[in-house]
Amino acid sequence: MRTNILYTHKELVEKSKSGDRNSQYQLYKLYVDAMYNISMRMLGIKEDAEDVVQDSFIEAFKNLNSFRYESTFGSWLKRIVINKSINHLKLKKIPVAPLEYHEYTISEETNEQNKDIPLDINKIKKGINMLPEGYKQAINLYLIEGYDHNEIAEILGITTSTSKSQYHRAKKKLVEIIKAL
Amino acid sequence: MDDLEKYIIDNKNKFEEHNPDVSKIWSAIESQLPDQKKYKIYNLAWFKVAASILIIIGTFSIMSRINTIKTTQNQTNPIVQQELRDIDTYYKDLVAFQVKLVENNPKLQPEEKEKFLSFMKELDIEHEILKQEMNKNLNNEYILEAIVNNYKKRIELIENLLEQINNSKKSYHNEGYVL
Repeated sequence: MRTNILYTHKELVEKSKSGDRNSQYQLYKLYVDAMYNISMRMLGIKEDAEDVVQDSFIEAFKNLNSFRYESTFGSWLKRIVINKSINHLKLKKIPVAPLEYHEYTISEETNEQNKDIPLDINKIKKGINMLPEGYKQAINLYLIEGYDHNEIAEILGITTSTSKSQYHRAKKKLVEIIKAL
Repeated sequence: MDDLEKYIIDNKNKFEEHNPDVSKIWSAIESQLPDQKKYKIYNLAWFKVAASILIIIGTFSIMSRINTIKTTQNQTNPIVQQELRDIDTYYKDLVAFQVKLVENNPKLQPEEKEKFLSFMKELDIEHEILKQEMNKNLNNEYILEAIVNNYKKRIELIENLLEQINNSKKSYHNEGYVL
């Protein structure tokens, strides 16, 4: 079963490898919505997200021969989009990774404070957008993109424990914002 | 995992709220991908060479076959039979090779491929029947003619395919993708 998932769209991928424009376009159409949304969540600016999606697909098609079905094509592409989005933020000098000295502030998460949060998707979305950039990426990558802390650490170039603490502080901040909304 | 985390994970799809400008992004992508023309020219040249070889060999083989049959008149010579069989095997391999080329060619539309292959299959069946007939009656000119026609049709099919590739190459730059 797992093997089958890994080989999703294998025919399109193989044809795209040999430069078939039609197959490349079909792959693009299958994934462009998801990739654009990932980038929009991370960057928040339409033009920036378009640039990142564009660059990601170009890179993906040019380097398709290095794709060996070790993951699905979708998650391979997604990783390119995430990396490019992070680089984009870095280029704009927006801090995505926490400063190391924050690490000592790791505190045990208490779920007490999270009990009376209004579970309203619009408020949550609004709250996430109001978070400082680093916190926003932590919530995005962990909860919405579904990466674990090891993967996030790799993406952001931080340690796993920093990723964990960053995420917990982000969540705490998010709760505060949502409650105030 | 607390309620908030669970709620967000369960409602992930609600975060898919942006719609990209699909055609705008694609044209930007396409302009930076290696030009596909290179592949097409390469393949076209290949097909031309392959088809020409097929036509030349086909003509010679058929002529030599007719000559052989004319000279042997009404005898069913085992050497002639063997030669005919050899020629036939050679043809079969050549056509199979062409079909394989078409099947594996990524530059062709699936519909074009299917059309081409279904015709080829029909001709295969016809050819099989003709061969059986010929085994029964080697010198029947009518059957020989039919076999020649069968090969001609195959060549014609490959030529048609060539033309299609040629046309699609010409119109490639003028047609946008329909979204």
